[in-house]
Amino acid sequence: MLALDIQNLGKIFKGKKRQIVDALQGVSLTVPEGEVFGFLGPNGAGKSTTIKCLMGLIRPTTGSANIMGVAAGTEASKRHVGYLPENPAFYDYLSAEEYLSFVGRTFQMQESLLQRRREEALKLLELWDARKRPIRGYSKGMVQRVGLAQVLIHDPSVYILDEPMSGLDPIGRALVKEIILDLKKRGKCVFFSTHITDDVEKVCDRVGILLHGQLKLVERVDTIMTQGIVGYQIRIRNSDGKSVDHQVTKDMLDGFIAGQVASGNEVVLVEPRRKNLEDLFLALVHNGAGSSS
Amino acid sequence: MITIIQITLKGIFRDRVFQGIMALAVLFLFIPSAASLSMRQVTELSITLSLSLISFILLLLAVFLGSTSLWKDMERRYTFSVLSLPVSRTSYLLGRFFGLALFLLMTSALLGTVAGLVIKVASGIYPPGRPIVWSYLLLAVIFATLKYILLVAAAMLLSTVSTSFFLPVFGTICTFLASGITQQVYEFVHSPASANTISPFLKTVATGVYYILPNLSGFDLKVNAIYSIPPSGYGLGLTLFYFISYTAMLLGGAALLFARREMK
Ligand SMILES: Nc1ncnc2c1ncn2[C@@H]1O[C@H](COP(=O)(O)OP(=O)(O)OP(=O)(O)O)[C@@H](O)[C@H]1O
Ligand SMILES: [Mg+2]
Repeated sequence: MLALDIQNLGKIFKGKKRQIVDALQGVSLTVPEGEVFGFLGPNGAGKSTTIKCLMGLIRPTTGSANIMGVAAGTEASKRHVGYLPENPAFYDYLSAEEYLSFVGRTFQMQESLLQRRREEALKLLELWDARKRPIRGYSKGMVQRVGLAQVLIHDPSVYILDEPMSGLDPIGRALVKEIILDLKKRGKCVFFSTHITDDVEKVCDRVGILLHGQLKLVERVDTIMTQGIVGYQIRIRNSDGKSVDHQVTKDMLDGFIAGQVASGNEVVLVEPRRKNLEDLFLALVHNGAGSSS
Repeated sequence: MITIIQITLKGIFRDRVFQGIMALAVLFLFIPSAASLSMRQVTELSITLSLSLISFILLLLAVFLGSTSLWKDMERRYTFSVLSLPVSRTSYLLGRFFGLALFLLMTSALLGTVAGLVIKVASGIYPPGRPIVWSYLLLAVIFATLKYILLVAAAMLLSTVSTSFFLPVFGTICTFLASGITQQVYEFVHSPASANTISPFLKTVATGVYYILPNLSGFDLKVNAIYSIPPSGYGLGLTLFYFISYTAMLLGGAALLFARREMK
């Protein structure tokens, strides 16, 4: 089954004084169960707008979306989802423990199961010592951790995370990657937005790049990584024993090596130079900016 | 919805504003001494002051809690985290409302008990002209509470359309003030004396406003409690019916508007 099925989603914000923001245009995208999908885009690209449409927080101007085959925004669709808002805020007069219990109850979890999962989640996210303190007194990263805990506690099949790593320290970021990989192992679908290409490379099966409200590219991450060889770095040791590095493009490789060998130099090292996701992303953003201006 | 009611109550009890408003209840302690200054009708005055103080505290609670509970959730972006849980917007709204209503009931039960003690003490020292009928007093407190619960529903309706808390807060206060005088205004514009002085247009407007604004005069049983006058059962039934249908209408409107509202 498709975990997410987004068809022709568009959103126009109408502000006061006839201000109109065309935030999202005709985005179509499907994500199967068990896939980790990275939703990449610069600030203001429309990532959060897409996600808010999925959660029924805002109504799309065009198009529709389904989550696990159920129309997005309905109570039934939300049962399948763990959602982490961007810069989340939770009832700050409750403690982390109380908030997680509240979330578990809205999902009608059994009390014993709820208690066990709550303990697991609090320990996993290192909130155990702070669990009885009101969220009001938490640091930004701790609130983000509460957000992750409340996503995990009811063990949904779809995870929609809006910038899950924002506000976290390096250890926290590594933890989130681990959590996502673990979810993937358990066959869950994770859909998360980010602007950090490195996170996508490490954990995602596929990536979608959103630019000015349009989906510019959807591709498997491993395809991008193998196709992305743009050239080679070749180290030559010449007859004097000196090493020199050369940058050679992909199609010049064979000729270059043959020429070096013919002139009696030794090829010490041939290393492919990859165009990574970051380069691709930057190139797309650049082109996008160029064409729109 | 039960879970929303629970966290609503928890939220109120842990709120500073609530604690401040409840501190007003300390004023009860001064009622017997204040009333005794009048020398005459001490018990009657104690009843008047007690009921007024209860009304005032409930009014403050209704206005501030009713108008800020939704607004605060939207302003502090709690709605993103709560409305993405499997809770429909209507049950969220109703959970909020019933939480507040329950809280007002609990408050008035508490304040009513305190008032009862105060009046008991006052009547023990200065026996009143007419014996106190405690059930009338109870009815007065109950109907006052219903009145403010209705006001909470009005405040919530206003906060579903507003992006700031000014409209709900001042709108609710205006509704309250206006609803206290609509009866008089209505009677005045429809009296023969006003026929020459008031244009037919104004008369229509006043009549329209009269039917739209809640009519809260029926909820006031203070006089019955103070002078031990039996209230009319028919009147009470009618007021109760009015309370239920008017509140249901307000909440229905609020639910419709809230379901359409965008959480940006
Ligand atoms: N409530 C709103 N009213 C008007 N315009 C809005 C509103 N919310 C978002 N927008 C606009 O929609 C566009 C997309 O915003 P969105 O929040 O989806 O970006 P994003 O990709 O999540 O960016 P970021 O990486 O900064 O979180 C932006 O141009 C933004 O200004
Ligand atoms: Mg965003």
